[in-house]
Amino acid sequence: MGKTVTRALRYALGGVALSALLAPAPAFAHAFLKSAEPGVGAVVATPPAQLLLTYTEGLSLPFCTVTVKGPDGKAVQTGKPQPVPGHEEEMSVPVHIAAPGKYTVTWHALSDDGHKTKGSFSFTITP
Amino acid sequence: MDSPAWLVLRGLCRGLHLAGYFSTFGTTFLAATLLRRRNVPGLTRLAWAGFALALIAGVGWFLLQTAYFASAQSWADIINAIPTVVEYTRFGALLLGRMAVLLLAALLFQRNLRLPAALLALGGVLAESWLGHGGAMEGGTGALLLAVSLMHVAAAAIWLGGLPGLYLALKTLPEAAAPLALAFSPMGMICVAALLLTAFVQYWVLIGAPGALVTTAYGAVALAKMLLLASLIALAVLNRVRFTPALPSSRAAFLRSIGAEIVLGLVVLIAAGLILQLEPPAMAGMS
Repeated sequence: MGKTVTRALRYALGGVALSALLAPAPAFAHAFLKSAEPGVGAVVATPPAQLLLTYTEGLSLPFCTVTVKGPDGKAVQTGKPQPVPGHEEEMSVPVHIAAPGKYTVTWHALSDDGHKTKGSFSFTITP
Repeated sequence: MDSPAWLVLRGLCRGLHLAGYFSTFGTTFLAATLLRRRNVPGLTRLAWAGFALALIAGVGWFLLQTAYFASAQSWADIINAIPTVVEYTRFGALLLGRMAVLLLAALLFQRNLRLPAALLALGGVLAESWLGHGGAMEGGTGALLLAVSLMHVAAAAIWLGGLPGLYLALKTLPEAAAPLALAFSPMGMICVAALLLTAFVQYWVLIGAPGALVTTAYGAVALAKMLLLASLIALAVLNRVRFTPALPSSRAAFLRSIGAEIVLGLVVLIAAGLILQLEPPAMAGMS
């Protein structure tokens, strides 16, 4: 009986240890920015009417905020983040960009699994 | 509300909510399967006690999570945010829906409708997975994590959730102790195998490197959870190979061992509640 206990324990603990030690593969849990239009660091000639932000997880939009500030430091977003039908992981943000320069986007996201994330990036509008 | 202390409190409430939910489900499941031909005094009260714990801890979790979502600074901020959380977040809708399902299951169990009660409660247990990473992530990885989470919570709920009911049955029905213990054992082994397999996939996907087990909060809690699981398995093996064959003379020791399993199981579930609040190391530093 003692040997059986020892053997069973060895297998069980071995399984737990194996779970811990084998090389893992990375994943993107929580909502992080996957892509943006205009893109991160992009230089574009035509001012967009809206930003499109795509995340790694579905979003709870009422608790997501996006601020877009122009070269003069003034906010240029004209409304709250809007849903993109059929794409829970995307949001669009209406903006009014009248002047060239560097624009900084600061976002706060709440994912469907209840975690908050934040980040920022910028893009440039050429004259 | 974003500080580590609040995070721990949210994790504690989530873990206790899980413990209560699993206990009600496990009790109804045990009654519908291994105890289907037996009447165990106090089993209905046990199911309601689990419901009460799930409800009280669930209310705490809901309020704390609402405060976190809304970055609330006062009770007024929390109260103002409640309708939005209920209507527009998966968390709010699922938590309320799952509690309604558990209430219905407990009422059915009260009327001795054991199988419908167990199946309903199982639905609520499984729905928890849609509040995790797998439920929120897109693509193949999300589908894999969701499938693995469904298996993981089902196995944990059957095994850990069934322990209080098993304890009660062994205590109140001494003549049934040996057959019950023998019948519970293979079910427990299947659950342990499922937990090990699914834990391996979760760690493989969500933890970026083995070193993260000791260098990140997520990894540390995951490591603690694995050690607790190993202790639980050791107790289960002890029950199977030492106490069960020696029944009925080993009943007192067997009951103490199951009591220890229940306490360890509760700690494991609190650790699970905590880890679900943390950022997996695989994507730390992204923005």
